[in-house]
Amino acid sequence: MANRILVALKGEVKTFYRNKSTIFWTVAFPVLLILLFGAIFSGGGTGKVDIAVQDLSDSPASHAFIDSLLQTGSVTVTNVNKSVNIDQYIKDNSPYAVLIIPANFSEAFPGPNQQLTQLQLRTDPTNSASGIAYSIVAGVASQYNLAFAQGTNWIMVSMSDITQTGFTYIDFFIPGVIALTSMTTTIFWMVSVMTRYRTNGIFKKLTTTPITRYEWLLAQILWQLVVVFMSVAVIMLVGVLVFDMHLTLTPLAILVIIMSSALFSSMGMIIARFIHDEETASTAANAITFPMMFLSGIFFNLAFMPEWLANIAKLLPLYYVGEALRNTMVYDNQTAALNNALVVLVLAVIFFVAGVLLSKWKDE
Amino acid sequence: MSETVIQVRDLVKKYGDFTAVAGISFDVMKGEVFSLLGPNGAGKTTTVEITECLRSLTSGDVRILGMDVNKEALKIKGRIGVLPQEFNAFDFLTVKENIEYFGGMFQKSLPADDLIKAVDLGEKRDVWFKKLSGGLKQRVGVAISMVNDPEIIFLDEPTTGLDPKARRDVWAVIQELKGKGKTVILTTHYMEEAEVLSDRVGIIDRGKFLALGTPHDIIEQYGTGSRCIISSCDEVCALSLKQQWPGIERKEGNIVIKLENKGSLPEIIYTLDRSGGNYEQIQVTRPTLEDVFLRLTGKKLHEEEVPKPEEKRKFFGGKKKEKGVA
Repeated sequence: MANRILVALKGEVKTFYRNKSTIFWTVAFPVLLILLFGAIFSGGGTGKVDIAVQDLSDSPASHAFIDSLLQTGSVTVTNVNKSVNIDQYIKDNSPYAVLIIPANFSEAFPGPNQQLTQLQLRTDPTNSASGIAYSIVAGVASQYNLAFAQGTNWIMVSMSDITQTGFTYIDFFIPGVIALTSMTTTIFWMVSVMTRYRTNGIFKKLTTTPITRYEWLLAQILWQLVVVFMSVAVIMLVGVLVFDMHLTLTPLAILVIIMSSALFSSMGMIIARFIHDEETASTAANAITFPMMFLSGIFFNLAFMPEWLANIAKLLPLYYVGEALRNTMVYDNQTAALNNALVVLVLAVIFFVAGVLLSKWKDE
Repeated sequence: MSETVIQVRDLVKKYGDFTAVAGISFDVMKGEVFSLLGPNGAGKTTTVEITECLRSLTSGDVRILGMDVNKEALKIKGRIGVLPQEFNAFDFLTVKENIEYFGGMFQKSLPADDLIKAVDLGEKRDVWFKKLSGGLKQRVGVAISMVNDPEIIFLDEPTTGLDPKARRDVWAVIQELKGKGKTVILTTHYMEEAEVLSDRVGIIDRGKFLALGTPHDIIEQYGTGSRCIISSCDEVCALSLKQQWPGIERKEGNIVIKLENKGSLPEIIYTLDRSGGNYEQIQVTRPTLEDVFLRLTGKKLHEEEVPKPEEKRKFFGGKKKEKGVA
């Protein structure tokens, strides 16, 4: 028995090292992961949470409080004018943390009219920055309480979601999941179908008929649309039934999902064009989807990445799909959604054309 | 029979420095079965794939039904049928569904059920393609190659890897096609297949024709004539034969005599009888394309392949499902 195991093992070893591209991707994948997560977490980024602050008090006390926030060294502050409707501001700018300092803020300090004031912090709960924003604001507030009121909580911090629509964590998370699904489903399908049909000769048979590559690829993309929307339906259904989700698919979101499916199907075609071996192609597909997954802002906020990495992330198509979906479905920021959607559209066209031009059905 | 449907002139195909097809010319007439015969790597598949518009040519002129393969590939594809080498269809579609799938690629297509009948696959009509044996798969392939009612059908090594029974079943289907007046281009490395099925044969090696004509003519022209073999012949016999036919050969205890004319055989028998010696049997052999090929190239046409037995047991457990009905 041991001998047979050894023989089988030896066969695998030989197959492995004779297939140079398997070796490359097998090595490349872990290296890529180390580099990726190393870069994400090794600091070098500003590491600062950007908080949009609307100072309704506009008093020396509130100015001092903002200064104290800045002195922690962990935040940057974007000032929002008092006269601006904060909900409109959120819609237009999609910030991930907003702090509203109430008009009665200065009355939290010892004096004749001392009264309770409440700082309002609104954040995107799926964003890793929201917890940090809360700790910093609450930390500074409790220092103030200690210094000026011997620990009595005259300054309170309330935390709520960035949007006022009663959205919950799951609502903020769903667009990212949809973006991710539209990528992984399509890339892996295209890679597996194309390498299989090439290996088993189905492409060769197809070339003997009048169907063109362009027609065939279009049929695949249409099929992928069906599959992706089935996944989206399942995601939405689970969201509603299990998590009491409130989101709906906006028309723009539907368009973005369609474009995204076409974009990543085309990317799959291109991968399959260059890597003919089935196993290697799926490893390569992993190596390409993984970084996108983590750099697209779905799991980790780009603000915490070193600037160069964040810039790379913005070159990745998934980033725009995620942004477009989040903006249209969660923030109702249709302008930003449209801008991102346009990027997705342009990329989809480029990748489809490249996919059609590059893909081959046979080896000459 | 006089209409030329395929015209190939000075066809050359190079892959880098390697010349796969080194300038060949031939015509195929309407309704004929034309075979390209040659060992693996001789250039026959490259040649047919160029005529099927699957590959580009380096130089030369190839016309199918009067159309240039370089310019009207899509039109040509609509009027020819192809069974590619190592044909495969969709595993999880049934025989009928596969035929309909490929039929849908063409502007006109024949009813799947008629084709299933033509290749005698009625019982397997609703069985998944993956459940079929190699021979049945090839028959599906032939059916699919006929789906657009083509004027020319190309069959690239349709019987390679099949067992003798399955091979003969495929032959029967090809003879049916011939009966219907279809033009068939066949590539094969089985000389028997070419001899049985073809009106004309082109023997190809290293990208060039060594001989071109009807199997009979080629054998007449390049063959060595019939021979008489007397096996286990003793010295007494051998001596008296040698007196009359000085040119006899001795091979492993057998004696081989070239038969010059029809009268030679009775003379040999008479001589043997009169000599009083012993021999086991007398055999007369006619030269085959295989002999012609051996003579022309000094190599065997093909090494006999042992067909793979059908896989009986799955490697990873699970009962073998008998039915693949969708």
